[in-house]
Amino acid sequence: MNKYINLIKNNLSLTILLISLLVVLILTSCAQATQAPEITDAGTTHETSEGPTISREGVFKVAMQPIVQTDPAFISSDSEVLVANHVYDYLVDIDPQNNIIPRLAKEWTVSDDGLSYVFTLQEGVTFHDGSPLSAEDVVWTFNRLRDPEAGLPTGDLYSNIANVGGSGDLEVIFTLENPNPFFLFDLSDNHALILKAGTEDASTTFNGTGPFKVSNYLPEDRIILEANENYFIDGEPKLAGIEIIFFNDEAAAVDALRGGQVDLALRMSTELFVSLQDEPNIVTIDIPTNGFDLVRLRSDRSPGDDPRVIQAFKLATDRQAILQLVQQGYGAIGRDSPIGPLYTTYYSEDTPVPTRDIAAARQLLSDAGYPDGLEMEMHVPDSGGRPNLAVVLKEQWAEAGIDVNVIVEPESVYYGDDGWLEVDLGNTGWGSRPYPQFYLDVMLKCDAIWNESHFCDDEFDHLVSLAGSTLDEAERIEAYHEMQRILIERGPVIIPYFFAQYAAISDQFQGFELKAFAGRTDFRQLSTTR
Amino acid sequence: MPSVPHTQTKQENAAPSRGWRFFRVIRRLYARPASALGTSIFIIFLFLAIIGPLVTPYTTTEQIYSDAFQSPSSAHWFGTDNLGRDVFSRVIAGAREILVLAGLGTLISVVTGTIIGLLSGYRGGWFDELIMRFFDSLLALPAMLLALLLLGTLGPSTNSILIVIVVVYTPIVARVTRSVVLEVKNKAYVEAARLQGESLPHIVFGEILPPVLPTLAVESALRFSYAIFLVASLGFLGVGVQPPNPNWGLMVKETRNYVSQMPWALYFPVIAISLTVIGINLMADGLKELFGVGTQ
Repeated sequence: MNKYINLIKNNLSLTILLISLLVVLILTSCAQATQAPEITDAGTTHETSEGPTISREGVFKVAMQPIVQTDPAFISSDSEVLVANHVYDYLVDIDPQNNIIPRLAKEWTVSDDGLSYVFTLQEGVTFHDGSPLSAEDVVWTFNRLRDPEAGLPTGDLYSNIANVGGSGDLEVIFTLENPNPFFLFDLSDNHALILKAGTEDASTTFNGTGPFKVSNYLPEDRIILEANENYFIDGEPKLAGIEIIFFNDEAAAVDALRGGQVDLALRMSTELFVSLQDEPNIVTIDIPTNGFDLVRLRSDRSPGDDPRVIQAFKLATDRQAILQLVQQGYGAIGRDSPIGPLYTTYYSEDTPVPTRDIAAARQLLSDAGYPDGLEMEMHVPDSGGRPNLAVVLKEQWAEAGIDVNVIVEPESVYYGDDGWLEVDLGNTGWGSRPYPQFYLDVMLKCDAIWNESHFCDDEFDHLVSLAGSTLDEAERIEAYHEMQRILIERGPVIIPYFFAQYAAISDQFQGFELKAFAGRTDFRQLSTTR
Repeated sequence: MPSVPHTQTKQENAAPSRGWRFFRVIRRLYARPASALGTSIFIIFLFLAIIGPLVTPYTTTEQIYSDAFQSPSSAHWFGTDNLGRDVFSRVIAGAREILVLAGLGTLISVVTGTIIGLLSGYRGGWFDELIMRFFDSLLALPAMLLALLLLGTLGPSTNSILIVIVVVYTPIVARVTRSVVLEVKNKAYVEAARLQGESLPHIVFGEILPPVLPTLAVESALRFSYAIFLVASLGFLGVGVQPPNPNWGLMVKETRNYVSQMPWALYFPVIAISLTVIGINLMADGLKELFGVGTQ
């Protein structure tokens, strides 16, 4: 004991320092404890019916993956898009049925040659800082997004725009280099949210025109939004606020919904969705989407460069069993092409998908020089149903003599250093898009940036270019049908299913409509009985 | 040079042969209820691991589509999982998989750890200093962190897991061995052997090793149970063995989100992990009592 007393005496200054540190720690933790309620209150301060025409009630709590990017030009994940979609507005938006609908643009006209688009903006729109929206802001936003120097993710998408100009306060004119039948869809791209002209740091200012204003952003914890009292649509939003609480783990998010800590869980695996079916006070919603899991073989080198090998893989696959086992029957069966049944007229069932035939698959492999079968590694990201898909495929293909070693990797490893574009056999998830041209342009054209199967087919490339430029709808439909035939016959890809999108929401909220790209779901119409 | 007088406990003094000694240890383990239970659990799992493929009705990867999500029945004793695989067959195959992997890893770490510990403790000086500081730096990292770092570099495979177990546990075994060696090496009979001009291997393995053995036996059993835990944990984190391997930890990871649909597919591997680890720990406790290791 004396030893310690001596030690303290000899190190008096150190002791004082330690004690004062302790005191500071205790004080700060007390201070935090008293501050905490103020922070959470922020979202509800405008809950009262002080608004001029409408009483906004209730705070809606959403469980979502943490956000990293807050600058609309850089957002990519569902949660980032969800936040931005409520703080800012799009020029044109997409409804749950994938139709283009007005948002900040009230109406628009397209010239006969398809090269000029004139948009008329809504009147009386103001930014959260009180300044009015004008054509200048829209022009500035799109000039920023398409600036090749800036290196933004949208640079390529908007490279076809020759000029964006304003005429008066409320008219914006886009001039294109070449006709683009999907230009309105491009304008509703996730990143195309309208900022205030001259915004310097879009990642921190949050100055949008959207239905909600950012009241408090606590990185890695939550973001609190409060209703924009001056939103340009009368009666919207109906809620007083939204709190988006960040969850890294989807199982934890679902548990939070069960426990009543959150009101909505978006995006979850099929098994978690199924587990919520009989839960009281929770409404579950599932919608079909254009998103799919893509199993692909590199076709620019052995063994995938032999069409017989590609056919053998297709013949060894039982799609119906996969849909049942991996997705528990939710979603729709795939036909090895990204043009799914939701694209209605573009979708075709003219060419039959090969039915499972193990003997034929073995014969093809033998003809291709693999009489004893084939051994390959399959790389799989550890997300969604993909690990299960890999295990089911391994078992199905084994019967045909294709021996696959499954390697499950975290998404950061799978996509990191573009490893997914290199491997011979991979299994990639592709999110839902409102129009099919996107997938063809970025995934299946010869020089596509994400051509993971290294597919290169002159006839196919020609059809992709044709479909992406022609203004003749019948010609485009014809081209899409042809592409589906080619992919079934010789495409080095298997698309076993299109997955469903899931959401589960507390039954105390009404007016919820889920979109295929979950982040684009909007809460403007949402109200509560609570 | 007879080594019998150097052993510490009476019962070993009396033991005429190795085989006889082994059964005596087992018999004494059964003298206490806790260690009897632990030893029985371990022996049952070991037995199942050996005869596994003979008793399991299905292979570990066989997917019977029509049988997915079946609860336990006479056809599927532990039910089936989401892909229609027989959980009983997978749990039994998992026993072999995990006991072999953890057992082999433990064996290699105990052998290398013992050799390093013996040499390092006996030689002392800069050699000892160098080895021990290096091991200290390895031990400064939590076992799981070290394992994850190694797997990140080696890539996930069964061999990588083996290397991880060896790297994580060799320093611990070496440290424990060395601490006993330090006690023993200045005893008179070791001194005598040295003065007689006996060779280094003879002194280290003939004179110093025998009194270290009881400690090693306990340490090996403990390491074995931790190794099982480590293999299962790495499987659960998804960085260890890859699907469709019937690793118990991996099975827990794969089925945990299905708990409301098929609790059996989650609970049986969980029970298997807990039972094995508890069993081996109880057995290690029994060995500790028996050899008087670690008790003052």
